[in-house]
Amino acid sequence: MTALRTPAGRQGPGALPGDAVARLDVALRRRASGALSGDHLTPGAATGMEIAQLRPYEAGDDVRRLDPAASARTGVPHIRLQVPERAVTVWLVLDVSPSMAFGTQGRLKSDVTEGVAEVVGRMAVRRGGRIAVAVVGGAVTRLLPPSGGRMALARLRALIRAGVVPDGAPGAPTAAGALANGLRRVARLARAKGVVIVVSDFRDPDWAGPLRQVAARHTVVAVQVVDPAESELPDGGQLVLVDPETGDLVEVDTSSPALREVYAGAERERRAQVTSGLRHAGAGHVVLHTNRDWLRDLGRSLA
Amino acid sequence: MSFAAPWWLLTALAVPLLGGFWWTQRARRRQHALRHPGVAMIGAMVPRVPAWRRWLPAGLLALAALGLSATVARPQMTFDVPVEKASVVLVTDASGSMEAADVQPTRLQAAQLAAERFMSAIPDTLLVGVVGYASSVRATLDPTLEHEQVRATIAALDADGGTASGDALNAALDSLAARKGDDGETAPAAIVLLSDGKTTEGTSPLEAADRAEQLGIPIFTVALGTDDGVVMQPDGELLRVPPDPETLRAIADRSGGRAFQVEDTGALEGVYEDLGSRIGTEPEEREVSAAFAGVSLLLLAGGLGVGLRWRSRVV
Repeated sequence: MTALRTPAGRQGPGALPGDAVARLDVALRRRASGALSGDHLTPGAATGMEIAQLRPYEAGDDVRRLDPAASARTGVPHIRLQVPERAVTVWLVLDVSPSMAFGTQGRLKSDVTEGVAEVVGRMAVRRGGRIAVAVVGGAVTRLLPPSGGRMALARLRALIRAGVVPDGAPGAPTAAGALANGLRRVARLARAKGVVIVVSDFRDPDWAGPLRQVAARHTVVAVQVVDPAESELPDGGQLVLVDPETGDLVEVDTSSPALREVYAGAERERRAQVTSGLRHAGAGHVVLHTNRDWLRDLGRSLA
Repeated sequence: MSFAAPWWLLTALAVPLLGGFWWTQRARRRQHALRHPGVAMIGAMVPRVPAWRRWLPAGLLALAALGLSATVARPQMTFDVPVEKASVVLVTDASGSMEAADVQPTRLQAAQLAAERFMSAIPDTLLVGVVGYASSVRATLDPTLEHEQVRATIAALDADGGTASGDALNAALDSLAARKGDDGETAPAAIVLLSDGKTTEGTSPLEAADRAEQLGIPIFTVALGTDDGVVMQPDGELLRVPPDPETLRAIADRSGGRAFQVEDTGALEGVYEDLGSRIGTEPEEREVSAAFAGVSLLLLAGGLGVGLRWRSRVV
């Protein structure tokens, strides 16, 4: 098991104001409830917050549901009924491969991942929900089984703080396809319908099949984290670049505009492929940039 | 190849030192490589340069540096330079024994063919003279640049009579001693004596050899013929005419030349060719720094040009 390490240059996710988290909660729950449609009560359902109806008391109703304000107003006893909510299990798939420990504009991609994980964790454990985490990126997927409450949040925070997989050395075996393996594992383990949030840069190969498998049963939201230096190569003259995953070196003359053009075009094509792959899988797609306010972008995309 | 100032060759050590420095710089650049997640994509975009194209500019520059280092050490090479105002006299035996056919077609004709070979091997600046002799000196030609005349004189020789080698040598020495160079010194000279038998008349050839040694004129002797050589006499009898290599060797040794013994036409022609180049030219050491500098500059230009064109950088 490769030990995770805090990446050099870690900035942290930034400030997380509480009301932003609450707004995200409502938005995500609205998304999730669409997939949990059904008016019948299911085992394990609890009373939710959303009001379903306010009607006059009938014999046999639960007395605890009497609404004093409505009864006083009309003079007839009224009861308030709420939408039954099932405890939602949120699966969080976090990509901590070496390529995530990259950032040129004030924040690393892994910092944004941390922030999204913290926010989703807080939302998930509200009102009895449960959170499970699958950390993908190394040779082995680390799992945090579904649990709820403050303990779950503490464990999630400890896992986030562990960091990312260290850079691969040339000659060492690489963990290509880690994202695909993690998604397959989640598809196998997550039985009950829930929400799966995948936070990654989607640079791994072959994630589309397993993601389709997961999206067949759950609501999937794919959060793609992007850094501007990935979309376009900066002009730095003769550079030696190293791949964080494999340790391969390549010497490239970035002062050539033709080369930068070709790279930008190839990167645009790759991102278009990611977008279409996510659309075919039926997953929601959020793109977060490291040089922008990711929390605001996340809220705007989910709403 | 030799070097006039060999200590300067130590400057060639700069090449491996620079190479080592460049290597450490390269390693340093790789150590401080920038991380980028898109390297796999870039690797697919950048064309794979074959190894020889990557190393060619550096290789050419290293060769140019070595060439310049050699230039500074003043290289010198030995060239064969035609001797100025040198003369050689071909003393050819035309006695009756030269009719023998043991050397095809006859000894005399073989000698004439060999002399042709000699003429083609010598530079145009060499003066050639002829002394054809039998019982006495038959034909003389003073050393001249008109090589056609020499050819004609040799071709006109007939085989008849005895062998007066000493007289012939003296005649040759007379014609050579008279020549003087521009600076008042006697120009270099040599004599090539071709004979097939003992001296039968006239002065002793060994005395002529001593005189040649005093004058500083080496005599190269060629003993022609085999022990089975025979000649048909007018009365129908066969006379055996073996060569006399001992005397000829003594003549050569005394005068500071070399003795050759040949038994067939091919060897004779070979000897004359060797003599032609030996007498007509002398080794001289000349500096070739200019050639080295020129080649080094070409390599330098080539290395820089190739580097800038292919890789848009010098090394």
